[in-house]
Amino acid sequence: MIEFKDIGLVYPNGTEGLKNINVTINDGEFVVMVGLSGAGKSTFIRSINRLVTPTSGSLLIDDEDILSYRGSDLRKLRTKIGMIFQNYNLVKRSNVLKNVLAGRLGHTGTFRSIFNLYKKEDVGLAYESLKRVNIDEKLYNRADELSGGQQQRVSIARVLTQKPKYILADEPVASLDPPTSHQVMTYLKKINKEDNITTIVNLHFIDMAMEYADRIIGMRAGEVVFDGPVSEVSEKTFEEIYGRTIREDDLRGGANES
Amino acid sequence: MATYSLPPKKEQSSFKKFKKIFILLAVIALYVWTFLGIDIDWTRAVERAASNFHRVIPKLFSPDWAAAGEVSQKILETIFIAFAGSFMAAILAIPLGFLAAKNMSRGKLLSAIGKWILSAIRAFPDIILAILFVVAVGPNAFAGVLAIAIGSTGMLGKLYSEVVESIDMQVVEAMEANGANKVQALFYGVLPQIIPEFLSYAIYRFEIDIRASSILGIVGAGGIGTMIIFAANNRNWNEMGMILLAIIIVVTIIDFISARIRRKIV
Repeated sequence: MIEFKDIGLVYPNGTEGLKNINVTINDGEFVVMVGLSGAGKSTFIRSINRLVTPTSGSLLIDDEDILSYRGSDLRKLRTKIGMIFQNYNLVKRSNVLKNVLAGRLGHTGTFRSIFNLYKKEDVGLAYESLKRVNIDEKLYNRADELSGGQQQRVSIARVLTQKPKYILADEPVASLDPPTSHQVMTYLKKINKEDNITTIVNLHFIDMAMEYADRIIGMRAGEVVFDGPVSEVSEKTFEEIYGRTIREDDLRGGANES
Repeated sequence: MATYSLPPKKEQSSFKKFKKIFILLAVIALYVWTFLGIDIDWTRAVERAASNFHRVIPKLFSPDWAAAGEVSQKILETIFIAFAGSFMAAILAIPLGFLAAKNMSRGKLLSAIGKWILSAIRAFPDIILAILFVVAVGPNAFAGVLAIAIGSTGMLGKLYSEVVESIDMQVVEAMEANGANKVQALFYGVLPQIIPEFLSYAIYRFEIDIRASSILGIVGAGGIGTMIIFAANNRNWNEMGMILLAIIIVVTIIDFISARIRRKIV
């Protein structure tokens, strides 16, 4: 369970990233964060694994306040939170298997990992994860030989190999075309259901949010302006979140093609 | 034919125009001043060249093949000096390169110190280092190796630090977000991004060091340079021809091989 209690975040340059956030995310939920760019979605999810640190309030994960974490506490926390990025962030010159095994780093000793001495079950887990996102035939290809959608699937496999309790995805489909976007979202949703991993995804496409989310949290200017199950959401809700009328480019489209 | 309207002229303040003209004039003045300053006596230079030309040049083109044995032995020593020196530099430059890279430490202080050390090393020409090491360890090939090693460390460290600064730090962030510690992030996120460039620069530097080490013997630091200085002092231009031929062949071969290897790795 993730609990934001009166969370605020002010960046060193004075911009307020988050204002007075009170949100509780229960285990197993598939939450989609929506909002215009700059609304604070990224800051919100990056607070959860402390890539950024809120400056006020308390953030509880499994009943422990993580804001004071440093060093090994922080690494332990991050080991149970997987993260997927817009730019995939794979090591382009390393092969797919090595990239996926990197998901095990938090569980592997420094010495073992430096000399590539992964346990057999870790290598097996990595291969299994690649199979789950259907990219196991690219095992020994270099990451930069893959297309964007394939790279994002590898990064999902990396997160799976980590065996996390939570998955954070920061704009995972923003660099992909519509059919590939749907494919990636479908995998995320499937993993969420099958492994019961709490998943929080940042999106700015309204139709995709509606299609995949259990619950939608809308942000504007660092504040949560909507929080509710997807059944309560209408076009009007989005107009309130975005503070303007909905336009063509707020939609990803392509749902039927995939 | 369609008539296109021309794009609007780039807006430029008169201050900028003035600045450009001023810089141009300053550069011209600098050149004029330099050439007047070094006081070249053209007529004398041409006279000497003309009188020596027929004595030296033809002999350079008829190399003394009897010296081939000694020359090849010395050129091999030159290659060894260059190799040992650039190998040492390739390793010594790694910690310095990381130290000088801005993105590898939090504060600016460490990187500034690293950059300062590297500039200080680069300030010494190879030949000065060779003289220092000949004094320190005696007139032998080891002095040459040390001179090459230190000289190359300055340049390689600088290039390494630039490679490290150009890596994709988001990949490193992704590793740390997975729970990897700093050492793991270094081995998994940083090293794969930098190793090919590091190797490529080290090989390139070896190429330069071959040329550099062929001159070090002039100050007694081993290699073919010793023969060059003797041949020149004895006016033995046939032997000099042989030496130059050997250097040209070796440098060409090494350049060719190095270019091919470097194309492969990056």
